[in-house]
Amino acid sequence: MTERVDLQEFIGGFVVEAAELVTAANAALLEIEAGHAEGTSRPKAVRDVFRALHTIKGLAGMVGVEAIVDIAHGLETLIRTADRAGGQLSRAAVEVALQGVRAIGERVRAVSEQRTPAAAPPRLLEAIASTDATGDAPAVAPQVSAELDARLSPSERAQLANAVAAGAPAWMLSFAPSESNAARGVTIGSVRSRLATLGEIVKVAPRTVTGPSGAQLGIAFDILVVSSAPRETLADAIAASLESVAPVLAPPPPPVAQAPLPAGPGAEPSTRELAERDDATADVVPIGRAVIRVELSRLDELQEQLSLLTVSRFRLEREIAAMADAGHDVRRLRQVADLQGRQLRDLRRAILRARMVRVAEVLEPLSLLVRSLARSSERAVRLELDARDTELDKAVADRLLPAMVHLVRNAVDHAIEPAAERRARGKPEAGTIRVACTEIAGNQLELVVSDDGRGIDRAAIARRSERTIDHDADLLDVLCGPGFSTRDVATRTSGRGLGMDIVRRIAVSDLGGELRLATTPGAGTSFTMRIPLTISIVEVFAFACGRQAFVVPVSAIEEIFEIADAGITPPSAPGGRSQVSLLERRGRAIPMFSLGRELAIDDGAAARKAMVIRRGGEAVAFSVDRMLGRQEVVVRAIDDPLVQAPGIAGATDLGDGRPTLVLDLGELGLAARERQLP
Amino acid sequence: MKRLLVVDDSKLMRDMVAACLRPLGAVTFEFAGSGLEAIERLALAGFDLVVLDLNMPDVGGVEVIEFVRSQDRLRALPILIVTTRGDDESRARVLQAGASGFLAKPFAPAQILDEVRRLLPSSVT
Repeated sequence: MTERVDLQEFIGGFVVEAAELVTAANAALLEIEAGHAEGTSRPKAVRDVFRALHTIKGLAGMVGVEAIVDIAHGLETLIRTADRAGGQLSRAAVEVALQGVRAIGERVRAVSEQRTPAAAPPRLLEAIASTDATGDAPAVAPQVSAELDARLSPSERAQLANAVAAGAPAWMLSFAPSESNAARGVTIGSVRSRLATLGEIVKVAPRTVTGPSGAQLGIAFDILVVSSAPRETLADAIAASLESVAPVLAPPPPPVAQAPLPAGPGAEPSTRELAERDDATADVVPIGRAVIRVELSRLDELQEQLSLLTVSRFRLEREIAAMADAGHDVRRLRQVADLQGRQLRDLRRAILRARMVRVAEVLEPLSLLVRSLARSSERAVRLELDARDTELDKAVADRLLPAMVHLVRNAVDHAIEPAAERRARGKPEAGTIRVACTEIAGNQLELVVSDDGRGIDRAAIARRSERTIDHDADLLDVLCGPGFSTRDVATRTSGRGLGMDIVRRIAVSDLGGELRLATTPGAGTSFTMRIPLTISIVEVFAFACGRQAFVVPVSAIEEIFEIADAGITPPSAPGGRSQVSLLERRGRAIPMFSLGRELAIDDGAAARKAMVIRRGGEAVAFSVDRMLGRQEVVVRAIDDPLVQAPGIAGATDLGDGRPTLVLDLGELGLAARERQLP
Repeated sequence: MKRLLVVDDSKLMRDMVAACLRPLGAVTFEFAGSGLEAIERLALAGFDLVVLDLNMPDVGGVEVIEFVRSQDRLRALPILIVTTRGDDESRARVLQAGASGFLAKPFAPAQILDEVRRLLPSSVT
């Protein structure tokens, strides 16, 4: 098989990329020049110029523009010398490089206008060849441990020294790439570009992660970065825990404004000075550190412990109030309790922050999706992603993405018209799908997926569903019916219906948010989703009691068993609202309350199951009608003060669309015991 | 279906390499824009051959070769270096680091096609 490949077909691409590289080289040269004015070197800019010229040279060679190859080659040689010498480029070299880059730019333009570019001017080439690239660059003292320093090029060493001198601390970050990270768009590429916005990346080096036996387990990237961003932000940027962000060296102490107090001869260095000296040496972390990634479940665990702490803090408040009522002086106690309250709030905030991921990264896979859908449906579609700096809880993000995929897929398959149709309607040939995300009041995110396609044909949908559709809200209702499909436009990617039922389930039932629709025939459709920034996911037992379903966190339950299997001593004092039986379990007597009676919803049905909880070392059992199963649910706080009640921890949805109460049996047990037991 | 990874910081260069290799037929191309991305992709997925540029930001081609060769499961992976630095010294350095083949830019489409055919295990076409 022979297929002739003609690289001349890439000449258009060459013009575009070469023009970008010329712009980049100019910008970097101007930055170096600005550095001259300030008396600092810009080693990174020198590297950038070098790479731009190197790439231009390679590309020009491929498409056969020799004039550009000659100029770029000369400049590349000049700048390589400077880079190897530590990234100092002399004023004269910057001057001649700017001339050279301008000459390249002129030739790129000639190519774009299909003119033959002029040959490289010999005088320019001579000038480049005879220029001294480096100024008299002073040697840069190593900033970090010898081991780390050995991995830095002269230019990187100088860059590190400059950045540190500017007052920012240096960090060693350890990013562990993985399939799961890659699946949600967290790759070394995304990490790198994110870190570039937070500081200056000096060096990135790969490392093999080995197990105790020396077996190769995977790889990690060590990233040396100089940044004033908080450690948490840096950890976030590499989707890792704080342990993956290690200080390499502290910034130099700020210059002292006043003359220091004269120290006597032979004065001992102060402890602070000693500490600083130690910082500079002992805190230097070797480049090969262990990587620690934290599973989300561990953060959940942390959050659960926090809620226990919150509960015990409420009890403390109650005790203090009781003491105050009894006439004790509780002022100092209250001060401590208030301080603890603030610390708890900060702790909660810190834990929540650890769970946040950038929306831009969460939605990144949509770009690839649109690209491949557009190809297979032979439509031109452009995706605009605008997530700004929004962040959301990882657990929300994981649930959100499938809904976004459905919306974007529907837009490509059903909304954007084929190019010919768009032309006929006077629209640009390429359709645009825009996904925008903004944070709104009430700790919520608003996500809008809009397209400039054909809009939804209400009349057609009304005919098919045999319903009258007056508003967009009715339309959304019909579209979100299970398995609703517009059949005639069904495609192989979304042939099984639009999946709008799934989108609404995710937005409304799973995440406790809202979904709205606005469509204009011929002009486009937009879906607006409002979802909370965080949710708490809890594994629960669902059970029935008095014709109602309830759930209780699995972690609160010690044991569940058939009441029939246990020996029961009936209530000693019949007739009360909350009667206590004694349950014999492994030689212990456990007080058992009827949950139906505690909640005043008893319908007289015989309770068959007992759930044992442990509260402060004391076991308490509740009898319930029957168990319904075990599942993970999203628990929503009940904000309405009218509904807030002791023993009710929140509300959830078991998938039937009806709110189900999440019970705090510990709280109920405490109340019942206090009432019943002496 | 063979999987090829084309690594170059220039998108145009990646496209050109893929165009030159299209006559291979049954191959899928994947692309990386830096040495770092290449290392990540190679660590996470299996490829049959890598076409690698030498001069890239952060981690250059030689470092990529050295790192790849230090990985037990990637020791035999064919790596074809494609570089503007066609001098003998570069060639020797790259081959010593563990590259399987070396091609200087500019190259003709047939040249890279021949090189890849030579290096691909149980070559297609």
